[in-house]
Amino acid sequence: MKRETFFIRLGEKGIDFFTTVYEISLLFVQTVKRIPKLWFYRRQFLEQLYNFSVKTLPIAAVIAVFVGLGSTVQGKYQTTDIVPRYVVVNAIFKTAVVELCPIILALVLAGKLGASLAAEIGSMKISEQVEALETMSLEPIGFLVLPRVMAGLIMLPVITIFANFIAMFSSLFASAVVTEWITPREFVNGMKLDYKIFEPIFGSVIKPAVFGVLIALLGSYFGLKTKGGAKGVGESSTAAVVTSAVLIVIVDYYLGEWLL
Amino acid sequence: MIRALGVKKSFEKQHVLKGVSLDVRDNETMVILGPSGQGKTVFIKTLVRLMEPDEGVIEYDGVDILKLKDRQLQEFRKSIAFVFQNSALFDFLNVRENMALYLRMHRAFREEEIEERIVDALRVVGLQEEVLDKFPEELSGGMKKRVAIARAIVKEPRYLFYDEPTTGLDRRNSQLVSELIGMLKKEIRVTSVVVTHDILLMREVSDRVALLKDGAIFSIGTKEELSPETLNYLYETGDE
Repeated sequence: MKRETFFIRLGEKGIDFFTTVYEISLLFVQTVKRIPKLWFYRRQFLEQLYNFSVKTLPIAAVIAVFVGLGSTVQGKYQTTDIVPRYVVVNAIFKTAVVELCPIILALVLAGKLGASLAAEIGSMKISEQVEALETMSLEPIGFLVLPRVMAGLIMLPVITIFANFIAMFSSLFASAVVTEWITPREFVNGMKLDYKIFEPIFGSVIKPAVFGVLIALLGSYFGLKTKGGAKGVGESSTAAVVTSAVLIVIVDYYLGEWLL
Repeated sequence: MIRALGVKKSFEKQHVLKGVSLDVRDNETMVILGPSGQGKTVFIKTLVRLMEPDEGVIEYDGVDILKLKDRQLQEFRKSIAFVFQNSALFDFLNVRENMALYLRMHRAFREEEIEERIVDALRVVGLQEEVLDKFPEELSGGMKKRVAIARAIVKEPRYLFYDEPTTGLDRRNSQLVSELIGMLKKEIRVTSVVVTHDILLMREVSDRVALLKDGAIFSIGTKEELSPETLNYLYETGDE
């Protein structure tokens, strides 16, 4: 490749990147501006609440059980008897609730919900259904994006709280019932050790809410940008999942850095 | 009355519309005829601002819709209905929900009244109530097109736009849809714009015909005024 061609392509990629960032920010602002219209789009919102909750709860439950079991096994294995067991439980509790459950769940749901949102909206785009909405005086952002973003904002925290409870019960079950490594009382005392109310709120509400908005916003954005046919829909889904996953990991770091 | 003046539209270096001007009178059916790839769909979509033209004026009763803000544009679109080339039925809704969507979102009708209007519109397009619970994927191409027309007329629009209504249909369904549009023209007094490459459809429904070639209109008149030579010229480099 000639040097000039290389720099032209690099420049084009750079412009594409900043255009995408600008467009996603614009979509976010336009969605926020339409929040007062949520009542008008209540049917779509209720449907999305259902999609974001009932359809994802079984996956969340399975992930949570194994996050609880896995962190218990690791906690036991990585520490010796030098460290009191209730301290190990405390580390398991904080790791699972603040970090593991929210981020693993968000990454899995970015795959499930992000891909399906992008594919659904992308299919609508290429089959003129989005334009059909416009001719019915319905705004695509209000009808398609707003209900999904609001459902993500509300339901991801709900699912994460549910998952955190299951993770803790599975951890308690593994350590206190199956292996009898610790008593239930010690386990609970370990959870209470150095307890700060903000930590579970941060891990179960704030982070999942941000991740939920990211997943729904990016899925909708790439769906609305779909061009061409089935190949275009596939590319949009992939872009939605990959971008969501990368941003979730980055945002997770910065949220921890800023808020804890 | 719809008036388009000097409408231009380009996609990168390709000039699709090169200054299209056209008047559509109240309650008439204007057919825009031309071979594929001449900018018919782009033009009909610019008429309702589904695409923004690069230049030009598009007026409805003297109001330039290109100057309307978002909310005004939504208000304007309550007066139009659009039948898309691929029907564009919402595949996550059944026929009943597809047809009821506009009424539920924008009109204060009771559910019984909405149902009544839906059934009436279905009968007009020659479909039975049995299709109401079916999803678009369960319908044939011809049925989808008729449901799309029913969805358009249930809105009681002032302006009705058809984008290639017979494309993709076999001869029988194509004939049925042509007759349906012709019948609607008589039954509901509405200003209609039909873009098509189908000469039979044009003969069935048009009050006037505009011939579009290479992004410009080169002839407007009634179907009786169209000579075979003009039609030959229209299609001589097209793919139809």
